Amino acid sequence: MRNVIATPETLTYGVLALLGLISLVGTYLAIVEKDLLKAVLFSAIQSTAYAFIFYLLMAPDIVLVYVPVAVGLYPAIVLFLIKKTERFEGDGNE
Amino acid sequence: MEMSSGTKIAGVVSMVIVTSVLALAIAAGGLGYVIPPPHLRSLADWYLKTALNPYLKYFTVNSPEAVTSIVWDYRGLDTLFETTVFFLAIIGSIALMRGIHIDVKELKECCPTGMSPIVKTVTRVTVGMILAVSASIALHGHLTPGGGFQGGATAAVAPLLVMVVFSLYFVSKHGLSEEKMLTLRTAGLLGIAFTAFAALIIGYAFSTHAYVFQNQPKAEAPVGLPAYMFNALTSGTLIFFNLFEFFAVAAGFTIVFLLLSIPEVIVKKHSGVSEE
Repeated sequence: MRNVIATPETLTYGVLALLGLISLVGTYLAIVEKDLLKAVLFSAIQSTAYAFIFYLLMAPDIVLVYVPVAVGLYPAIVLFLIKKTERFEGDGNE
Repeated sequence: MEMSSGTKIAGVVSMVIVTSVLALAIAAGGLGYVIPPPHLRSLADWYLKTALNPYLKYFTVNSPEAVTSIVWDYRGLDTLFETTVFFLAIIGSIALMRGIHIDVKELKECCPTGMSPIVKTVTRVTVGMILAVSASIALHGHLTPGGGFQGGATAAVAPLLVMVVFSLYFVSKHGLSEEKMLTLRTAGLLGIAFTAFAALIIGYAFSTHAYVFQNQPKAEAPVGLPAYMFNALTSGTLIFFNLFEFFAVAAGFTIVFLLLSIPEVIVKKHSGVSEE
């Protein structure tokens, strides 16, 4: 019988699953974090995991657009906005 | 209310468990089919067989990069309207910041300095590298992974870095302005529009049929842009679309960052909002 568990792709899929879980945790922490600067950093963890996922899924075109947008441009826009507004997310009844 | 770390850990653990169980169920065939699918779909098969195939003269794109072929040839209209959406977003941000302009004198008074000399020296080196890589991504977009948008987004990181590290005063003093970037962006968009009609114009010149957004010759429309120029593979319209999109995207992002990096003091002064 052919072994279907230990194929050469298994390692790739395992790493993909792990990166998916890392991005999930990063996203969750970015949402619940009240310090918006830290939230941007958690969001960067998610972005980094996604960049590797796209690479392993053999989509280098997406990696090339995802890296500058998710690591350079998007955090820059959010940091500019945080600088112009406020750093801590409030409840609205302070 | 600040979330306690216990609640956070419980949230993380429960989400990881739910996702893992769902993923395992789907991987085991829970939806009735296997992911990833074991065979290529017929559409993907067609793209792979025609993207670079000199023997299918009326179907090929003459580009070894199937993704760029799809983006700018097979479904080029879709990309054209994506570019339009991006253009509208930039117009929206310019409209939001109307009446607020970059004044070099005001910037010199309020915030003339950037970061430390160490950061500045590193940035001087990396900015050149970023621009070189982005030009390579855009101009080789029809040969290797990449393209106009990818290259443009990468190139936009360079002026952003200079703005943050050397200050907005520095870039304004050296001639980077919203108007110049807007001109560059419009030139890029006009280039894209012209390339879309290029085959049609050639068709009129030779009094034959041609299509809007045509790249290589088709049956009944035997005109097209050259696949080879100066003995190099340029894939007809693809290199032009990539080049013009590169300028349009890089300049568009730079406009947004120029506007966003104007200090809040100056924004309030120009828009007539008094300091609280």
